[in-house]
Amino acid sequence: MREKETTIYLGPQHPGITGNMMVKLKVAGDTIVKAETHVGYLHRAFEKLMEQRTWTQSFPIVCRICVPEPDPNEENLARAIEEIEGREVPERAKYIRVMVLELARLATYGLWMGGQSGSMGLYTMPQWTIGDRDYILDLFEELTGGRVYHMYIWAGGVRRDLPEGFTDRVLKTLDYLENRLPDYDNLLFNNALFQKRAQGVGIIPKDKAIEWGVVGPPLRGSGIKHDVRIDEPYEVYDKLNFIVPTSDGCDVWSRALVRRQEYEQSISIIRQVIEKMPKGDYYNKIPNPLTWQVPPGEAYVKTESARGEFGYYVVSDGSIKPRRVHVRGPAYVHGVSLLEKILVGANIADVSFIMNSLGTCPPEIER
Amino acid sequence: MHIQDCTENTCVDQIQKIFHTAEVEIQRKKRVKVKLRLDLVPLFLSYARDYLNFKHLAHISCVDWIEENEFELIFMLWSYEASLMIMVKTRVNREKPEFITLSHLWPQAETYEREIHEMYGINFKGNERLGEFILEDWEGVPPMRRDFDTIKYSKENFYQRPGREDAQDVRETISKHSGEEVPDFAKEFSIRRIEE
Amino acid sequence: MAFDIKGVLAPFSALKQGTKPPHTVRYPKEKKETAARYRGLHFNDLEECIGCGTCATICQNAAIDMIHVDGFETNSGDSGLRPRVDNGRCCWCALCVDVCPTGSLNLTKDYVYVSEDPDSFLWMPGVDNPEGKENLSFQSAEGKPLLEYERIPMHELEGTERVKSFAEVLLGYNEEEARKEAARCVGCSICTDICPVHMHIPEYINAIANGDDEAAVKIIYDNNPLGETCGKVCTRRCETVCAIGHRGEPIAIRWLKGYATSTVNNADLIEKIVNPEILPPNGHSVGIIGAGPSGLTAAYYLSLRGFNVTIYESKSHAGGMIMYGIPKYRLPLDSIDKQVEYMEKMGVKIKYNTKVGKDITLEEMKQHHEAILIGIGFEVPYELGLVGENEEGSIQAVNFLRNINSDRHVEIGDKVVVIGGGNVAIDAARVSRRLGADVTILYRRRVEDMPADWEEIEGAEDEGVHIHPQAIPLEIILDENKKVKALKYANAEMIPDPEGGRPRPKIIEGDEHIIEVTSVIGAIGQSADYNFIPEDIKNQIEIKRGRIIVNEDQQTNVPWLFASGDIANRRADAISAIADGYRAVKGIEKFILKSENK
Repeated sequence: MREKETTIYLGPQHPGITGNMMVKLKVAGDTIVKAETHVGYLHRAFEKLMEQRTWTQSFPIVCRICVPEPDPNEENLARAIEEIEGREVPERAKYIRVMVLELARLATYGLWMGGQSGSMGLYTMPQWTIGDRDYILDLFEELTGGRVYHMYIWAGGVRRDLPEGFTDRVLKTLDYLENRLPDYDNLLFNNALFQKRAQGVGIIPKDKAIEWGVVGPPLRGSGIKHDVRIDEPYEVYDKLNFIVPTSDGCDVWSRALVRRQEYEQSISIIRQVIEKMPKGDYYNKIPNPLTWQVPPGEAYVKTESARGEFGYYVVSDGSIKPRRVHVRGPAYVHGVSLLEKILVGANIADVSFIMNSLGTCPPEIER
Repeated sequence: MHIQDCTENTCVDQIQKIFHTAEVEIQRKKRVKVKLRLDLVPLFLSYARDYLNFKHLAHISCVDWIEENEFELIFMLWSYEASLMIMVKTRVNREKPEFITLSHLWPQAETYEREIHEMYGINFKGNERLGEFILEDWEGVPPMRRDFDTIKYSKENFYQRPGREDAQDVRETISKHSGEEVPDFAKEFSIRRIEE
Repeated sequence: MAFDIKGVLAPFSALKQGTKPPHTVRYPKEKKETAARYRGLHFNDLEECIGCGTCATICQNAAIDMIHVDGFETNSGDSGLRPRVDNGRCCWCALCVDVCPTGSLNLTKDYVYVSEDPDSFLWMPGVDNPEGKENLSFQSAEGKPLLEYERIPMHELEGTERVKSFAEVLLGYNEEEARKEAARCVGCSICTDICPVHMHIPEYINAIANGDDEAAVKIIYDNNPLGETCGKVCTRRCETVCAIGHRGEPIAIRWLKGYATSTVNNADLIEKIVNPEILPPNGHSVGIIGAGPSGLTAAYYLSLRGFNVTIYESKSHAGGMIMYGIPKYRLPLDSIDKQVEYMEKMGVKIKYNTKVGKDITLEEMKQHHEAILIGIGFEVPYELGLVGENEEGSIQAVNFLRNINSDRHVEIGDKVVVIGGGNVAIDAARVSRRLGADVTILYRRRVEDMPADWEEIEGAEDEGVHIHPQAIPLEIILDENKKVKALKYANAEMIPDPEGGRPRPKIIEGDEHIIEVTSVIGAIGQSADYNFIPEDIKNQIEIKRGRIIVNEDQQTNVPWLFASGDIANRRADAISAIADGYRAVKGIEKFILKSENK
């Protein structure tokens, strides 16, 4: 007998993920028949605002596109402008940028571990990982002056040089985080319950993943070995050694394994960065920010954020303000067309579980 | 052509061989820019996807060139095999902006089209989900168009908390003190009016 | 799948955390010290702040207002306003800190601000948190400044090259340099207050930055018809108060003005670009004595306002001191001719070679004109008061410069001493160098006391002029033909003024020297010749220390008589003369139209 279909609205208040969005679910019993993403709760018209601000004024705006990981936004905008302008960035600044990006990745994965386990009722994990993330935020506070929104990377380099003894404290924090991994493993990754919940759920078929526009850990969790840091190395990633982990289960579990391994990779990358970082200048000064005109041109740049390809399409018409800044967040695809597809057939209880595994982040869908 | 051999140069050659009217240039390493007539774009995109193996649709963007009465649509395709991006650019007339949907090629194109439709008012024929997406009960000029006046909109729709009326303009304060009369043709050149 | 006994037991290892110290805050609560560059609430050093409002301009949240604060008044160099932050809007991006030209605005470590009153989130950094000064964290001094503190260097001829000719020393900015230099400006307009004319400086500078030189020229001509001259020789007090100058080199306002005006190379083009509004003739007539900067300015703007204006000029060229007093290497003569030609096109009539008092009397003028403006300048040099001063080989600098600019030959020999320390003295010295002489400047006080511009002093030294400060001339020694042969002078020491004024030179007894010279050039100041003014009028107007006393409309005690330029202000520079002329326009207009309405 066919069960009667009902409609459930999940959200818009934090539907098991960070950020506000709503998923309208049509369910038959416990099974989802149709899913529809509704966004618009976080639309702040950043792209329109930037068209009315100078290039420098745009930097404090873009970081707000992603709370857990604001730095790829700053880095992308900076690099796009540098590409249009042909501005050189000092080598040291590039290393500092990579360090910031990788620290941000660690912080984001900390949040993700908390979210992923929180969405299946394992509440000890978020206490730990979000607590440990704060040690990374302490580093950000010392480096940039802000814990969450850093406003640190900007066109021409970075805003301030490293404080005295900063790298030592980074290394100390990395050691701490690394020592925490066995605890994380015992509680989450080796946890039979988690494996049971995660395996075979939220399948992204390998042969469809690229066509569907999947990027980042979900793509690698479907066994496809692609990473912007390798495909189109930016900053100094071509000078660093790291592997791109993959797993071919195509499910939530595989994506979790990929992230777990990337966590270690990031720690290793930061250690290499600190070892190789040259002395010297950290900022190739831009002209007066009130009158700075970027020559006409366009650029599409991308970074590998913790959730995948983060792209910025920036157009300049030669004036003091951007003509167009268009942000391509990974969740733009993951949170709408992909989510709507792979939720079909899943259980209601798995919705936020799957959303977490995709790294859905509403603010980058609507900006 | 073997996909592995696809470099910036071979890619340009290949495209020019088939699309004679396309303006193709290498923007930089890993970036090939293709300017194309609007009606050729769907054909070109499926060609790039299926024959040149640019399987990943990374981005669809739109720029309002109001001075030229045109919208520009930009499609970013990425080939994982060749590590190469094609940026396909085409112009749409601003008066009655229309294009066709690409959701049969890439499902995520639907989302991009919904946004561009909402923010610029370009109609993508064949896309059934055009309509309310990010905005709610929006009427009037699509907001990302250059002729949408944000200051006017916010003055009409939002309430400015009182208490800041005593703010002074530095320029006016000084000219009032010195007795300088700044003519209107000079005022246009003040750099203190970024937001207007 | 087999039963995963390890996977079931592993999570229980979390229990061992119970024996470890917690990471969370413990009680009693310890206050966590914020990082050294934490971005907390603002603090503004009110004394250092000049109220330029650049913080309010850069703020992308529009969170900063500039408002009046008790105890701070608008004056030259300070708008009298101070920033107030709306903490409901601020995002602590600290762009305002990094952009602050004076470095007065910084962030502090404080970040807790709680209030039940929603209107209390507007607050004045520095006023509401005076203790913030001890608590600074994110500071502009730590990073690289956002603004451009270094001036684009001006090309100039080498000193050794300069003395070979009267070619212009400063080569001027080229287009690219001008755009770059202009782009350094933050547009605060602090500079406009101190400018005697109150030129629209930020506007024309930004027009140059935007690549619109024609607009810049139009803006300059709005209240200064001698912008090109000022672009070369202005005393530019504007640059002394420039916001950027607080921590860097001020914007080269003078040279940018020079750049913009030099892009227009003939009078027709000026007319086309400036295209001023000209009111129809109003039937009133004004006479002006002297075609110097103040007279020309008044004549130009009066003409535009429909007045019938005639200038009476005793010499064969207009320009006054800028024509006859400033050497060609600073201000080429064709530049002045071009500007005067443009003014004549705009309706200014100039009667050359007409000396009032000789060719026409003041009374005769009064019959033709309803108002008269005197702008005769200081042309009569002070005598040195030395024996032998009136003999061959002893000349006065103003006469010397006038003769040189009129292309007359002046014999000075090869060893010249110039007496004085003002710009005229320096000009005479540098001109003498160009005529091939060895030049020494004798000045009573120290070099730092010299009234001349430091750039002029440096320029003279570069060209090989020897400056001998603290030297007082005593006597000019003549040879048997009554020609100057040598100069006797004494060295002086500086003794403090008991009344608190600047130190005075006092001759050191016995420290006397004689130098051989071929010429002595006196340059210790000038005064005006008021003999053309009839006694009855002279008795009515007030003349104090050689200057005619005027009100703020440049009007003398005789209502129809106005005075401007060196004879009416103590600044004695071109820009002050232009300002006088501009004010006189308003005064004359007011006077004539008022009597018309009666």
